[in-house]
Amino acid sequence: MHTRTARLTSIFLIFATMEAPAFAYLDGATGSIILQAAIGLFASWAVYYRAFRERARGFFARIGGKAPANTDGQ
Amino acid sequence: MSALACDPGSFRDPGGRVYSDGARIFRTVNQPNAEAYQTARDSGLLARLAERDLLLGSEERDRKLIGAAGKSAVHLLEHPRIPFISYPYEWSASLLRKAALHHLDTQLEALERGFTLSDATAFNVQFVGPKPVFIDHLSFRPYRDGEIWAGHRQFCMQFLNPLILWSRLGIAPNHWYRGSQEGIAPEDLTPMMRLKDRFSLTILTHVIAQAALQRRSVRSGTVAAGKHRTARLPKASFEGMLHGLKSFIAGTAPKREATVWGDYAGNNSYGGTEAEAKRAFVQDMAAAVKPALMFDLGCNSGDYSIAALDAGAGYVVGFDFDFGALETALERAEQGKHNFLPLWLDAANPSPSQGWGQAERKGLKERSSADALVALAFIHHIAIGRNVPLDMVVDWIMAMAPQGVIEFPPKSDPMVQCLLSQREDIFPDYTEEAFRAAVKRRGRIVAEKHLTPGGRLLVRYERS
Repeated sequence: MHTRTARLTSIFLIFATMEAPAFAYLDGATGSIILQAAIGLFASWAVYYRAFRERARGFFARIGGKAPANTDGQ
Repeated sequence: MSALACDPGSFRDPGGRVYSDGARIFRTVNQPNAEAYQTARDSGLLARLAERDLLLGSEERDRKLIGAAGKSAVHLLEHPRIPFISYPYEWSASLLRKAALHHLDTQLEALERGFTLSDATAFNVQFVGPKPVFIDHLSFRPYRDGEIWAGHRQFCMQFLNPLILWSRLGIAPNHWYRGSQEGIAPEDLTPMMRLKDRFSLTILTHVIAQAALQRRSVRSGTVAAGKHRTARLPKASFEGMLHGLKSFIAGTAPKREATVWGDYAGNNSYGGTEAEAKRAFVQDMAAAVKPALMFDLGCNSGDYSIAALDAGAGYVVGFDFDFGALETALERAEQGKHNFLPLWLDAANPSPSQGWGQAERKGLKERSSADALVALAFIHHIAIGRNVPLDMVVDWIMAMAPQGVIEFPPKSDPMVQCLLSQREDIFPDYTEEAFRAAVKRRGRIVAEKHLTPGGRLLVRYERS
């Protein structure tokens, strides 16, 4: 839930106020392509982040002598 | 086989064309699509989609069957005929929503089997009764791992954005859509989005962000050619995006504000006995003519369409101007599993022939192959409500089908009085005698009945 709120807020802050009238027509799908590339990057980043978080938790758990908690809570 | 004609709306994909001899529908599969088609066919995808009622059925035929047109084809397919081709700008909100979900389901099923759709045009979805079906067998091609969704922007413009306009702002997009067959661009929809709309993740991403990125790319001269070909979208994200859109679209209900005719079936100027007599008159015609395709002009919630189906009509396309009535009609068609498709029509300004060469999308007249029609409680809305001379209205109606039933409400009828209440009566020719004469000029009156003495007149005609 927190992740969703944070994601929503970030995207909102970036795009909610963007306004740039442009009436030229270059490529009908450029916006879609960039958007999908951004979603793709975000997804890759999320996978990387989750893997890093698991490794970090495992590391601290080993230091503290505890098994890692179940992190499947999103 | 009678003369074969190429469908003027099937030219956009060089991989195939659609042909018809008036009764049967064929599709050629040409290079460069032959290989993708074969792969999809051999993988079992096309059969699986047809099994799930997602894709229109097809049978491979000998290419010689269509003569010279089949010479350059690699394969020839024959499809069952769709009783009536409709366009997205003739759909109610619920029909557009059903079509959008159908497209997403088709794309998801294809993706699961290693294929994707090459585009996302709403014109590739048709309706058989209230059920949507995908009709383009050449849109499937093998999915390349990590490729982006080629039809994303088209999906947004032709499905998502019109639905947002409908569900968020209560604006029917049909007029706009008819004028802009590519759909509604995110850049055009964005300025209409209010602050509260911008809190929706779907709107923020697929409308506002896409529009902003589009504007920025145009401003900075960034062209997709080359630069973004390397863009990647992991399959899981692709699927996530499709599921997200599915969930959003499933929740888009049109604002159901009271519409003029939404409750007409329970709120009209005649009683149960008259309605029963009218039903019997329509059923007599349907039983005698047994029309394979019948039009119901001013179908309202579909009472008489369903009555005609019960009496022997094969398939009914209903037309109405009121979106509330169309929603009720669709619910009834779904619940009763009727061969009934209710569509939006402004009879004073029907869908024209348009698109490339003014032939890509056919006008209503060009698609009017009905065997019979009913026009009940309809004629006064055009003759008085829209100032079209009575003779011209009768001419237009009778040109739509060779046989049918037309109802004529006299000026004394409360519904006609309602139309006249706030305007000057400039319709001296709106009389029963003039109506009868207009019908007789174009055919013969087979039967007629007054619902009450001096009241509404039902006429069954047969065109000369």
